[in-house]
Parts: sequence; C-alpha cells; structure tokens
Amino acid sequence: MATSTQAQMKFFTLQKDSVALFRGFAVSFDLAGAGMLMLSDYGQYEAALRVNLHDEWFPIVEAGLGKATHDDDVTRLYYSTSAPYFKIGIDKNMLRDKHGPNRLYLGVRYGFTSYKIDIARPNFVDPVWQWDTGFGLHDVACKYHWAEILIGIDVKIFGPLHLGWSVRYKQRLAHSEDGDWGKPWYVPGFGTYDSKLGATFNVIIDI
Amino acid sequence: MRKWLMVLAAAVVASCTSIDCPVNSLVLTQYQFTSSDGQVLTLLDTLTVAMTRKDGKDTLFNKGSQISTFYLPISYSHPEDELVFHFDGDSLHRTDTLWVKKDDYPHFESVDCNANFFHKLTAIRCTHNLLDSVAIHNPSVTNDEKVIHVYIYPKTDD
Repeated sequence: MATSTQAQMKFFTLQKDSVALFRGFAVSFDLAGAGMLMLSDYGQYEAALRVNLHDEWFPIVEAGLGKATHDDDVTRLYYSTSAPYFKIGIDKNMLRDKHGPNRLYLGVRYGFTSYKIDIARPNFVDPVWQWDTGFGLHDVACKYHWAEILIGIDVKIFGPLHLGWSVRYKQRLAHSEDGDWGKPWYVPGFGTYDSKLGATFNVIIDI
Repeated sequence: MRKWLMVLAAAVVASCTSIDCPVNSLVLTQYQFTSSDGQVLTLLDTLTVAMTRKDGKDTLFNKGSQISTFYLPISYSHPEDELVFHFDGDSLHRTDTLWVKKDDYPHFESVDCNANFFHKLTAIRCTHNLLDSVAIHNPSVTNDEKVIHVYIYPKTDD
C-alpha cells in the first residue's frame, strides 16, 4: 500500500531539477478535423492554447467550430449544424527525459457544446395512408458534455515548430435536447453521436 | 512496439462507421379486446378493418379470427384516422367505425434511417353496433411493439 501511495505521489509531483516551473505557451491547430471537414460531411476547425509547466504538465484549452451538413441520397434526410465547442484539460509528459525535444503525452479533457440542429426531408407520401407528409425539425436546441482520455506525441521539427498526433477515447457524460424527437446525428466537437474514438494532427508553435 | 501497433489497428477498425437504425422501425398501434372487468377477450368472429385513405378505402387487416390483440398502421401526419371494423360470423355481420385523433411528432434516429413519426393519441370514439366503447390505454405510439394502446370493449350480449 505504501509503495502504491508513493507511486501516486511521484506521478503528481514535478521532477526535481534546476529548470523553471513556467516554460511558456504553445498554440496549435488541428489539421485532421479541418481535413475531415473538407473531405466529408462533418469536421471541425480547432485551435488550442497550452501552458508548459516544467516540460512535464501541460494545462490546455481547446476551442473550435464543429460543422456538419449531410444530404442523404437514400433516405433524403438533410442534417445541418454549426456551433462552437470548448474543451479544457491537462496533459502529462510521460517520457523519462522531460526536457528533451520530443514528448509523449497522456491527457484528459472535459468538453462542452451548446448547438442547434436542422433536420428536413422533402415532402413525401405516407406509404400506407397516401396523405402528403412533411418532415422537419428547425433550430432544435441541444447541449452535450463529454470526457476524453488521450495519448499523443509531440515532435520538434525546428525552432518553435512542433508536429503532434493524438488518439482519443471519448465518453458522453450528459446531454439534453429540446423535445422528444430522437437523438442528434452529429455533435460539434464530439463527432457522430455514439462515436468513441477520435484523432488529431496538430501543428504546434511555441510562443 | 508490435503490441502497440496491434492496439492501434484494433482501435482503427473499431472506429469504422456503422449504420445504427432500430431493429424494429415500424410504428403501429396495438388494439386489444377487453371485457369491462379487465379480462382479455378472444374474438370468435372474423374481423376485417378498412380505412379511409386519401384515394378511397382499402383493407388494412384482412380477416383476422380467434384474435385478442392486433396491430394497425397509424397515419404519419393526418390529424384523425378513420377505421371501419367489419365483424363477420355465422350469423353475425356488423360494422363499427373508430375515429382516432392524435398528435404527430417527427422522429429522427440517424441520417441513415428513414424518416418516421411517433404519435400521441388524444381522443378515440366509435359507433356502437357491436362495440360498447373504446378507450386509450397508452397514448404514446412508438416503435415499441409491446405496448397496448387501445382497449376495445364489445357489448356483453355479443
């Protein structure tokens, strides 16, 4: 038990050396989400601001704009949403050499978004009763809270420029939707409603 | 390293998109013949149900016999459905009409799943040739096929 407690304390304490606690800021931009947005029906523009504490702990704020516009050829359903989202969390550099040029991160995030969705379908005929039928939901307000755990790497290219990758496991914490109409298909910043995995490819600049 | 690559490969496979529509997407209203003291009744005669469609009448439920419960379609967005019940036995030929009023709600699961409607029954009435009365038991009509929505009470002398 004593060994376990000591290990936990070691995890949460800073490595003792002569390097200063505050080591600066870094801004980053996610190219994976932007690429998804260009190549598919949904994705996000995301930027982050990270604080470097002793090259070991990295509190981070991520913010972005998540968008989806899907017009299904088969079901003829149209889905649209666009909203900002915010994530806050912290990463820990797991490498033994904390002050080296590269980093291996283990991190956690809490994410939140408040968004509105539009769902529509061209009028169609009720297949049994033959009445003309319209189908649509407009400006339905929704909220979504989630958590992420991630593993990531950060590689120094030259000067202040780094490149980073992360793989994330996402878990919904809470959600709410106005009205009893079903569930959203895409949530800004989170991805499709029941998705569990995500990834980022970041361009990082030390400032 | 090889172990990590296998974990990463498994994660990528698991992250592939899938179409996740409900197994049962049919939204039907379930009716049950019931006695005034709450006992489930079995219809000895033959029941045929017709409805007033936009293009005229058509048969919905054709010649059910020895039944106590049955499902009928509910219109997507018409405010009131009209159902004509024909009871036919050896010496019995009677007809009753039911009117079912409801509110209709668009229901969305995914862009991959067809547009659907859920309903809330608001009122029901009938003529009284063979039927004594009808009553809403559960007003919420969804894709839950276990729910009985309407009780039908036949006249006791029939």
